[in-house]
Amino acid sequence: MYGWIWRHLPGNAWLRALISIVLALAVVYLLFQYVFPWAEPLLPFNDVTVDQGMEALR
Amino acid sequence: MSVRLVVRSFSELCITAGALIVLFVVYLLLWTGVKADSASSDQIDQLHHQWAQGTVSTPAPSASASGRGAPKKTAPPAPAAYKDGKAFAVMYIPRLGKKWSRPVLQDTRVKTLQKGLGHYAGTARLGATGNFAVAGHRRTYGDPFKDFPELRPGDAVVLDDGKTWFTYRIDNKPYLTVPSDIGVIDPVPVKSPFKSPGRYLTLTTCDPEWGSSHRLIAWGHLDSTQPVEQGKPAALRS
Repeated sequence: MYGWIWRHLPGNAWLRALISIVLALAVVYLLFQYVFPWAEPLLPFNDVTVDQGMEALR
Repeated sequence: MSVRLVVRSFSELCITAGALIVLFVVYLLLWTGVKADSASSDQIDQLHHQWAQGTVSTPAPSASASGRGAPKKTAPPAPAAYKDGKAFAVMYIPRLGKKWSRPVLQDTRVKTLQKGLGHYAGTARLGATGNFAVAGHRRTYGDPFKDFPELRPGDAVVLDDGKTWFTYRIDNKPYLTVPSDIGVIDPVPVKSPFKSPGRYLTLTTCDPEWGSSHRLIAWGHLDSTQPVEQGKPAALRS
């Protein structure tokens, strides 16, 4: 997988390394901005109220 | 050759999954805290800005609009209803830290609780007769109620709504219950030390710290109020 990406990046080794870092940072940004905020409420840390049932009535 | 490919792909998958998990833990432990701290201070800043402009006591569109009979002219204007998802007060609990302060927002939706503490819709207004019930995160999102079990009878819970300081006093050691125990936020909470109607406060959070199987509850009663012009109440000055 990673080898495949590496082989398909343009330029010499330095340029590829640079692009790889940018790609990795982009992935981390997407995870923190979109994926984790979506996934986190599915875990139980958010349940601090005693009326979870009433929430559904909103 | 293909065995090599399978093994390599599998290892890469494992490394990716491991990195994902580490990143998620970093997100939970650090990033939600960073986000919540900035959201909390934003909310508090907005509140102070609003209060400075004196819009805090804007009366709600009066009851006459509802057309249910002419309201008495002598009745004081009803205070504005709390707006869903908006902050309306700042809470201070010296036991949780000298600097501990969090905005209190209306309603207890997930998004609201990510910015601060949530006031249960349908429970009493701040300082009113009934039960002013507030929920907060134990862990993640700035860990507002991390030290909840340290609360003891007599501890002050101070709230500022821009006009008045309300000092509540805790009346029980945190009480462990189950999530379906809605009676704890009743006007006269079931199983609380209170027997007759009064001006009460309920704080709820989850227990265990990282779990959701139980809830911790603390009750308090309104001890004193004073206008903001008189400065901070005694409970915050020590």
